[in-house]
Amino acid sequence: MSIMEIKGVRYSYDNKRNVLKGVSAELDAGKMYTILGPSGCGKTTLLSLLGGLDSPSDGQVLFQGEDIEKKGLAYHRKNNVAFIFQSYNLIDYMTPAENVALTSKLPPLPILERLGLTREEAKRNVLKLSGGQQQRVAIARALASDASVILADEPTGNLDEDTAVEITNILKECAHQMNKCVIIVTHSNELAKQADVILKLRKGELQITDIPDTDMRKGWKR
Amino acid sequence: MNFVNRAFLYCIRQKVKTLILFLVLAIISTFLLTGLAIRDASEGATEDVQTAIGGKLFLEIDPTNQYDSSQDGYGMTYTYNGDYITAEILDAISKVDGVVDYNSDNPRGFWGAGVDFEYLPAAFNLSYTPYGESSAYTAALSSEKSSDFESGKYSLVDGRHITPEDKYVVMISKELADYNKLSVGDSMTMYCLDSDSNVKLEIVGIFDGTEGTSGNGGFSVSDIPANCGYVDYTTMFENFGRKIDGYTQIDIYVEDPVSIQNVYDKVKNLPELRGKSLKLSIDTDEYEVVQAPLETLRSLVNTIIVIIVVVSSLVLTLLLTLWIRGRKKEIGVYLSIGKSKTGIIGQFFVETVTVAIAAFAASVFFGGLIAGKASEFLVSRVTTGAATLNVEISAANLLPLYLIGIAIIAASVVLASWTAFRLKPRDILSKMS
Repeated sequence: MSIMEIKGVRYSYDNKRNVLKGVSAELDAGKMYTILGPSGCGKTTLLSLLGGLDSPSDGQVLFQGEDIEKKGLAYHRKNNVAFIFQSYNLIDYMTPAENVALTSKLPPLPILERLGLTREEAKRNVLKLSGGQQQRVAIARALASDASVILADEPTGNLDEDTAVEITNILKECAHQMNKCVIIVTHSNELAKQADVILKLRKGELQITDIPDTDMRKGWKR
Repeated sequence: MNFVNRAFLYCIRQKVKTLILFLVLAIISTFLLTGLAIRDASEGATEDVQTAIGGKLFLEIDPTNQYDSSQDGYGMTYTYNGDYITAEILDAISKVDGVVDYNSDNPRGFWGAGVDFEYLPAAFNLSYTPYGESSAYTAALSSEKSSDFESGKYSLVDGRHITPEDKYVVMISKELADYNKLSVGDSMTMYCLDSDSNVKLEIVGIFDGTEGTSGNGGFSVSDIPANCGYVDYTTMFENFGRKIDGYTQIDIYVEDPVSIQNVYDKVKNLPELRGKSLKLSIDTDEYEVVQAPLETLRSLVNTIIVIIVVVSSLVLTLLLTLWIRGRKKEIGVYLSIGKSKTGIIGQFFVETVTVAIAAFAASVFFGGLIAGKASEFLVSRVTTGAATLNVEISAANLLPLYLIGIAIIAASVVLASWTAFRLKPRDILSKMS
């Protein structure tokens, strides 16, 4: 059974503009998905619906076969999904360790160290870290929550190419080695090529493309 | 990490905001604490006034339809033939539960001319007795409770006051004593025109307070306050010229002013008073004169406290609204990681309360500095006298301060958060990105 599923999801702003016109998809654990599409096509809207930040106008969002509205969207956000944002969205008066501790009762330092931060960096104010380091903290916070699904909105949008590669590789590891379902909204075709499945949104409809394990995917390295 | 830990972290890390909030809350709580302390002081002063003045009933003859008239060579003479307040009535009243004392004084109840002494001279010498002009004396059961002594106009400087047991005693002014070189223990002989006899009185007390009022002179000697003294009732009764069956008026002192109505009812229903031409009333004049400025002050302070609460709520709400709007990103992040709205509001509340606890404690110090000056200013607004209030910031003021303060903070945090939490989590996140 897929870990998440969207069934006939429609979404419109003020009942006028239909952004999603009854899209459906099944999303599996252990895979990395990218959502591609032109600006304003509803990529972030779809991610928000998957993450329980908003409700569809029609249709269902299921987690392990159960409508996420049943236990409540806050419950879904707390227990099932974790977000990674383009602008990192860390709490700016906290250290990386404290940011990670927001979602986890486990010690945050091992997670941060695994993602490449030193102990000293883990105790600095987050605003004193580089963009790449801040995004690692955001990923660490997502991983610390132990959520099965990681939702990333343009996670490499603010990063240089080298750092973007590193972050993408971490996200791939999350999917392939930690058996998470990673769903990434991106404009980057390069990042999209690294996914196991590409979800293309166009005029409110979803086109699903499986990417075979080709040399092109393997070649996304520094 | 729970919301309490997050709140503490915020207070520690956001030092400038914490300091600003501390100052705002310290100012608010200092005003509030000062207001509460002044209110308590005015309530304390009211209780002191009640204790000091006590309650008073006033029993007097009711002259309505109680006069006989007769015609003689000088014209019409009206004679009161109703009931008097007798010793029997006084005895019954003194036994009523709640009555602590009574007094009667009869201003100008006794007149005497100086046989072996002289009065301070008046503008005109009206020698209508063999010993010159008579002056007036107040007959008193307890001269200490006479209005001029109670008000502080007169004060005893030597000897003692006249008591109900005294017979043929007198209290004179220091001016008259000095004028005649008289002192306590000496005797004075007066000619009483009404009884056409000489009356020998022992000086038991000398009072001052008449000084400065004799220099202007008077039309007659009895117009000069220094010539007017106090005698006991026996002296008046036995030299009035006709038989008097009792007192014309008495003040009845009640232990607890709060229960004055109860004592009034008991006295009113005494069998000794039933059917008598006597009037009983509650005398609150003195209490009200002293109490009125305190009541005005208390009302003023209550108004000020209400204004402080309203203005504080507005200022705090505006400040927190501005800050919470600036923390939309943080709210969005918390919501995206599944923190509840209640927990987020709880964090804002704990942050503010943490700072408030310190600010309220500091306001005890600041309040102590300004409370005295503030009370002096307010007292000067409501009374022209030299009244003062003993304003002290006490632990008892802190409880209402903390309760009111925390209620203001809770209301302000909820109102300030409202604008941020109206939005869906996604709207907050899309706005911040």
